[in-house]
Amino acid sequence: MEIDLKDQIKNKFESLCAIGQSSEGDSIQKLRGKAFATFEQLGFPTIKNEDWKYTNVKPILKDNFSFTPIPTTSSYEEAIKDKGYFGQGLDAYTLILINGIYQPQWSNIPSDDSISIAAVEDVWDQVAIDEILNKDRNNKSNPFIALNTALFQGGIVIQIKKNKVLDKPIHLVHLGDSSEHYFQQSKNIFIAEFGSQAEIIESFENLNTESHLLRNAVTEIRVAANAKLQHYKLQKGDASLRLIEHTEVEQEGDSQYNNYTFTLPGYSFVRNNLNLALEGSNIDSHMYGLYLTNDHQLVDNHTLVDHQEPHCESNQMYKGIMMGHSRAIFNGKVYVHPIAQKTNAFQQNNNILFSDFATIYSKPQLEIFADDVKCSHGSTIGQLDPDALFYLKARGINEEDGRSMLVNAFAFDVTEKIENLEIKDLLNEAISQTMLGKALLV
Amino acid sequence: MKTENEIIDDLTVKEYEFGFVTDIEMDVLPPGLNDEVIRFISAKKEEPEWLLNWRLKGYEAFKKSEMPQWQNFEAPDVDFQAISYYAAPKEKVKLNSLDEVDPELIATFNKLGIPLNEQKALAGVAVDAVFDSVSIATTYKEELSKHGIIFCSMSEAVKNHPELVQKYLGSVVPYTDNIYASLNSAVFSDGSFVYIPEGVRCPMELSTYFRINSQNTGQFERTLIIAEKDSYVSYLEGCTAPMRDENQMHAAVVELIAHENAEIKYSTVQNWFPGDKDGKGGIFNFVTKRGICKGDHSKISWTQVETGSAITWKYPSVILKGDYSSGEFYSVAVTKNHQIADTGTKINHIGKNTKSRIISKGISAGKSNNSYRGLVQIGNRADNARNFTQCDSLLIGNKCGAHTFPYIESKNKSAMLEHEATTSKIGEDQIFYLNQRGIDPEQAVALIVNGYAKEVLNQLPMEFAVEARKLLSLTLEGSVG
Repeated sequence: MEIDLKDQIKNKFESLCAIGQSSEGDSIQKLRGKAFATFEQLGFPTIKNEDWKYTNVKPILKDNFSFTPIPTTSSYEEAIKDKGYFGQGLDAYTLILINGIYQPQWSNIPSDDSISIAAVEDVWDQVAIDEILNKDRNNKSNPFIALNTALFQGGIVIQIKKNKVLDKPIHLVHLGDSSEHYFQQSKNIFIAEFGSQAEIIESFENLNTESHLLRNAVTEIRVAANAKLQHYKLQKGDASLRLIEHTEVEQEGDSQYNNYTFTLPGYSFVRNNLNLALEGSNIDSHMYGLYLTNDHQLVDNHTLVDHQEPHCESNQMYKGIMMGHSRAIFNGKVYVHPIAQKTNAFQQNNNILFSDFATIYSKPQLEIFADDVKCSHGSTIGQLDPDALFYLKARGINEEDGRSMLVNAFAFDVTEKIENLEIKDLLNEAISQTMLGKALLV
Repeated sequence: MKTENEIIDDLTVKEYEFGFVTDIEMDVLPPGLNDEVIRFISAKKEEPEWLLNWRLKGYEAFKKSEMPQWQNFEAPDVDFQAISYYAAPKEKVKLNSLDEVDPELIATFNKLGIPLNEQKALAGVAVDAVFDSVSIATTYKEELSKHGIIFCSMSEAVKNHPELVQKYLGSVVPYTDNIYASLNSAVFSDGSFVYIPEGVRCPMELSTYFRINSQNTGQFERTLIIAEKDSYVSYLEGCTAPMRDENQMHAAVVELIAHENAEIKYSTVQNWFPGDKDGKGGIFNFVTKRGICKGDHSKISWTQVETGSAITWKYPSVILKGDYSSGEFYSVAVTKNHQIADTGTKINHIGKNTKSRIISKGISAGKSNNSYRGLVQIGNRADNARNFTQCDSLLIGNKCGAHTFPYIESKNKSAMLEHEATTSKIGEDQIFYLNQRGIDPEQAVALIVNGYAKEVLNQLPMEFAVEARKLLSLTLEGSVG
């Protein structure tokens, strides 16, 4: 099976090279070549690989994939209306991407010059973009990133201009549509220039649920000095969608980056890699995650916070509720370089198991090389307090409602941090709905 | 008063205090490992055939195993063919009293501050001293045998109690467990064997002092402790080794078996030669320690104080099989110079209502790296399992590293697990406070570190606690954060 897939990947790579000769620059062709060589050498990760110990990718690679989508429709306005996506209707500038390609005709963007939006292939000759794409990590070590670099098509570059403060969030809607199982490679780049402030929301959905969509995406983010970027990932949708999301963030001094990753029942496979490089001083980084899983879902959150300079603060809080036969993995890592004195780094992971068939793997790691730091982590696994449930029942609240209230309270630590009120409401509502649902296996 | 830097320098260049070589004729096998060597060891020890076959199976498993890659340090390239797998003091006459022991050996132990001839006077401690591979003196045997307790060397146990050895050997750490356990199974030289019969509370702390002496001789101890129903035993293990320029490897295996209602307490103070200040030499301590709480309400507790070895790589673990069984792990690991410690524990909750508690305190100084790596696993039948883990790290200087790799896995909805970890340095205000009260920085640090490690040191039996406290102060003398 895997040999077939590898052959396909090779074919795809060769055809991309053939087409690319004319349209792509030398630099990109060379990069693709290097990345492909890395991928060929590494192959897909197995559970023997420490980073994929609990996340077996074999089952999701079994499909007979196509690497070029075969769209089922051309009138997406209707399709989007019919199918919908989590986060639809938020008050935001909505950018629609279909199979990774930006669709300006269905998008609305700010009319002023506060941001620039472009397809990756239109701007990859720019020095800054070229530099980002050529970062070592894009063609070394991680096989999925290497694969992405070798085969990526489409993608979007969003630049928030210097000192601009956006009045509304930018909502990226990643939609897939293909009549065959589609293995998508997508690369996006967000740049928040000096002093800018913005909110970026991402939603994901597969429009043709008959076929599987395996999305292998890399998002490169730069947060320049004094800039502030809020980044939301709303992951709730159809089980035919499988996500492998790599988010690479580089922060300059005095910047702030907040990441919110919410995964709710739906997608059968989610792997989020969130890597933050704190490259200056006085940086503030927050990562909030909530995963509420059910059925046979597998949700894996890997984070890495790399403290390279002194006087930075990072804070991670991930909360999980596992139901059904689902599996969740949290792997957080804080790395403090010897020079990064006065670092404050916190990491917390709390989990509730609702079912004897669900599993949680939690691995909060610290790697500290500086002595004058405050670093701590905590991890718990437990269940709802039966006394609290009894208290609510004694006051006439039925078990279902009571449980839903307690789960909302458990999630409160994370949800209260959401600065976007619309998203906060959306999420609270979604949690309540899930907990009241009949699918709950206790 | 010394400046901070001077004190740190003092600390980082501190020479190993217990380095010396004892001159005793050794019966050493030439380096190399093959079937013949294993047959030779087995024959030399007059072992039954089943044991030889077991060794050979271990060797087969060893040949098939690969070196692990997951550890947080560069594993040294060990040339297994360059190691001699058997060394025994030539004097092989069985001794009944200490008077018959080679005086030079006695002198060695005296230098280490473990005077065998005082052990008798020290109430409650029986010592089975292992000098390299063969036990040379066993005290208090008679007193113990009154209670039906068997405390002897592994070779004696093979001779006198083969049915017990055959039943339990390899039952907790199979010969296929990991490469070093396989190697140990193939070539284990000697070790201690303890059997506590049903309903007996062992009247004294059992203790073995390990020494590595012969050059280029890896030590492959095998310890087996069996506690029958309703019994109790506390076992102490302590080690120091003479100074060497070449790395020596120590790959011991310790197996503990606790039946219903039994309790085993296993304490270790390890102070092997850590290498000089440039990281040259030093012992590799690659030990597999595992206990199983077989019966309901049984308990196993590991306590370790690790200050020595160039590389300490071990995870004393507990399998909680019986219902209501409990496991504990208390550890203090101190590293300095170029030392590496990658240590922690594994607790497997299998039975219902099982409990575990992990307290780990790491202290790193100089250019050392100290890692806690622990696995807590809750199986789906382990209803109401409970775990608490705390691992704290102290950093002294900014050239060292402290790392935490906890693996927490749960498959049961009624299990409760907690894990917390902190990393910090010794507070300047704490030192200042003590300075104000006339305590100099060196003593202040010793005081603070002892306080920091107290939760673990308190678990040690009395005699050991004193030794461990001394060792800790000695090792960290004058380290101001």
